Amino acid sequence: MLRFLLRRSLGALAILLLISAVTFFLFYAIPRNPALLACGKGVCTQEQLAVVEHNLGIDKPIPQQYWEYMVGIFAGREFPAGSCPAPCLGFSFRDNRPVLDTILDRLPTTLSLAAGGVVVFLVLGLGFGMVAAWRRGTLTDRTVSSTSLVLSSAQIYFLGPLALALLVYNNQILSQPGYFPITEGPGAWFAGLLLPWLVLSTIFTAQYTRLSRAALIEQLQEDHVRTARAKGMGRRTVFFRYAWRGSLIPIVTVLGIDMGSLIGGAMITEQTFALPGLGRLAVDSVTQSNLPMLMGVMLFAALMIVVFNIIVDACYALIDPRVRLA
Amino acid sequence: MTGTTSHNERAGAKEPMSKRTAHRRRTAGVALALAGALVLSACSGGGGGGEPEGEDSAGPEQSAAITFGDEAASTGPAEEVPGATPGGTVNVLQETAPDHLDPAQVYVSHESNITRLLHRGLTAVRLDNEGNYSVLGDLATDAGQVSDEGRTWTYTLKEDIYFNDGSPITSADIRHSVERLFADFITQGPSYLQRWLANEPETYRELLPDGPYGGEHLPDSVLETPDERTVIFHFEQPQNDLPYALSMPGYAVVSAEGDTQEAYDQEPMTSGPYQIEEFRPGRSMTLTRNEYWEAASDPARNAYPDRYEITFGHTREDTTARLMADNGENQTTVTFNNGLDAGQGPAVVEDPQYQDRLVDGYQPYVWSLAINQQTVTDRRIREAIALAVPLNGVRAAYGGALGGEYAGSLISPLLPGREDDYDPFGKVANPQGDIAGARALLEEADAVGYELNYVHHTAPEDQQAAIAVENALEEAGFDVNRSEVPPETYYDTIGVVDSGFDIYRSSWGADWLSGSTVVPPQYDGRQIADGASNYAHLDDEHVNSEIDRILLIEDPDQAATEWFELSKYVVEDAVASVPVIYYRQTMLHGSLIGGAVFNDDVGTIDMQRLYVIQDGS
Repeated sequence: MLRFLLRRSLGALAILLLISAVTFFLFYAIPRNPALLACGKGVCTQEQLAVVEHNLGIDKPIPQQYWEYMVGIFAGREFPAGSCPAPCLGFSFRDNRPVLDTILDRLPTTLSLAAGGVVVFLVLGLGFGMVAAWRRGTLTDRTVSSTSLVLSSAQIYFLGPLALALLVYNNQILSQPGYFPITEGPGAWFAGLLLPWLVLSTIFTAQYTRLSRAALIEQLQEDHVRTARAKGMGRRTVFFRYAWRGSLIPIVTVLGIDMGSLIGGAMITEQTFALPGLGRLAVDSVTQSNLPMLMGVMLFAALMIVVFNIIVDACYALIDPRVRLA
Repeated sequence: MTGTTSHNERAGAKEPMSKRTAHRRRTAGVALALAGALVLSACSGGGGGGEPEGEDSAGPEQSAAITFGDEAASTGPAEEVPGATPGGTVNVLQETAPDHLDPAQVYVSHESNITRLLHRGLTAVRLDNEGNYSVLGDLATDAGQVSDEGRTWTYTLKEDIYFNDGSPITSADIRHSVERLFADFITQGPSYLQRWLANEPETYRELLPDGPYGGEHLPDSVLETPDERTVIFHFEQPQNDLPYALSMPGYAVVSAEGDTQEAYDQEPMTSGPYQIEEFRPGRSMTLTRNEYWEAASDPARNAYPDRYEITFGHTREDTTARLMADNGENQTTVTFNNGLDAGQGPAVVEDPQYQDRLVDGYQPYVWSLAINQQTVTDRRIREAIALAVPLNGVRAAYGGALGGEYAGSLISPLLPGREDDYDPFGKVANPQGDIAGARALLEEADAVGYELNYVHHTAPEDQQAAIAVENALEEAGFDVNRSEVPPETYYDTIGVVDSGFDIYRSSWGADWLSGSTVVPPQYDGRQIADGASNYAHLDDEHVNSEIDRILLIEDPDQAATEWFELSKYVVEDAVASVPVIYYRQTMLHGSLIGGAVFNDDVGTIDMQRLYVIQDGS
């Protein structure tokens, strides 16, 4: 297992290097000059602009900038406006502080949103999927399937404001969404995130219901399941011991990608509920042309997806020993 | 809705060569008599309907007068807001977090609105209970003592003024604050004072290239600080607007001892009633009381709340929905910058249940279409453009009536000296544009099919407005080539003299309530240069000479009228710019917020007068 993880980690490192290079060159090749932002409207002369570009470190060739960026991740960097200790994912020209500081400031919000949302949609999605597969062909199955089809086509930017209006503003059933650190009060943390969790998980629940149902039905038709049943094993035992475990492989695959994406930033959910997470940070960075911040968020999101893919691979090995042997 | 009665009690106006106090009521007669059709009656009466009489007078339909305050007027504490009680927490919903906390880097409104709670300068503008505006001495004992026909201004600092570490504010701090404006890392704030001191608009930094950090200082011929409490500015040209300029948040005091240069932008010392307890960029800011602030020294800030909890990332939609709900913490919530969203706004302004929680007024900006005088040289073609531009199409892109009013002039309704019904091309009356008239002019000039290069930026509303303008111009017979550039490079793009563009949008806002911050920066032909703000590239001898003449006028009433007259020349005779809309802002606040009125000088809710309506009050 250790060798397996080591191999996957090295592969992930190569992927991250590739992503960083592509992202860096893409961002810095586009015709937007961060120095103009730092310079202000009509204030800078060309000489001033040159000073600002130098201070920002963007007066050097792009390959050299990339090299310094990568060195900064391991050794840190110094800027006239402040220092950026390792691991330095860049320095934001807008607010004069290391990109990683802002990312770490936003991460708890996104982690809380993602973790709570995952718990909700996994419990509900897998549960509904099992019920539908168990009662395949019945009214219950058809109801669950059609409902999940409808809900999976709904969008957060529709459900969010609707839920806010119905549950918060008009009827005050739930608290105003917001992020409060769990360390400062678990109750406020839970109450503030409950609605975002519910809305975020609605669509995912529907998708996981469908996925879980399909995977279970497929597993129930496998030879080893039929053999177990033929040998007289109870339906419930076969369902949970063989079929359900086998159905987890595609679910874990998708879950890994979804977890990575969610921790990279649930942009629309965070925007809808004004939650200060990584998703909103990414959106703000785009609208403000804050390229170092955007680059940092992108790299962080890529890192999360790669990390969760490694975890998924490890889970494969746990679920299906054939993966480890291969 | 109403006209205004302006008081003009000028004392000492006949003493141009003598040192005289500026406390005379240099009433600018801000004729804020606004178009009667405007739906402006919803100016706040304060939260919870508990606002005393007099609060409504601060609304934009009312008249206001600007005076320069003498020592008595500049002595704190600030006039009490009727019914106000101290204490409580005000929550503020903002869309964009400040990028800068160093006051010298503050210019844009979402930053300056917060800065006004934190920092103090030599002067400040105060809106009183009767709706009058005064430039008062803030750190200084009065709005300034002027001599030498406006070339020398003397300020005496108050005695009980401190930074939030308890250190006293002295003239050394004022000198340092001025000198650091010349350092190359100060790039975002206003530059009026620096340019006036250097008497060089574009190369002012050469006066003190390293700021105070290289051991050099401004000479006494420019800035004198003979003792701990005296500050004397010397200018080569008369600067009659100095008290206004010094009230800008960008000219607030910075501690000489506590200055950490670039790092000051993260952790500034404050001199106002509040200090920053915590700032999480892009997320939130908590302001708590600065225990060293003395209310007795501050005539401009009431500072009733104990605390401000400011959160960022709130869209207009989110802000409007929360304030409509008016539940829980939303009852003690305001916004400084988020106007009603275009979707719910129209219903909100019509709904009686929100009327006493609305604050409405003009912003200082005027949306205009600049016409490049160096490329579009035929006046008939420029007039054809002016006739064709559809005001209604542009306004619709900015949220309809909530976003702005049709504009006839380049001078905002907030400014004095205006003719309210000025509409030279009949565009306010017929906002769809005069396509037939424009086409007739083109035919007369034998220019049907005239090619126009139009540049705008990529903000959604600007794109939508540009399409409306393009369609109208094409219908009139122009051949329009439309280009888009990102917002951050937009002003640099249109600021290039040989850019090759013919028409472009400009949103110019007065920095204080004077035409001197509108006409000269945009239409002085001697300032045409790459990066300058004469976007129309207008170099007209009449305009240039009139600018020089009006800048010397000491009577603000007369100057205001003359600025407006000159702006009429720019619109009608030079046809250098087409006024399109005056920006408006309508905001909602929570029911337990008191003292909420629109402040014309700030262009939003007056944060200095706010209070939390306490239980039982």
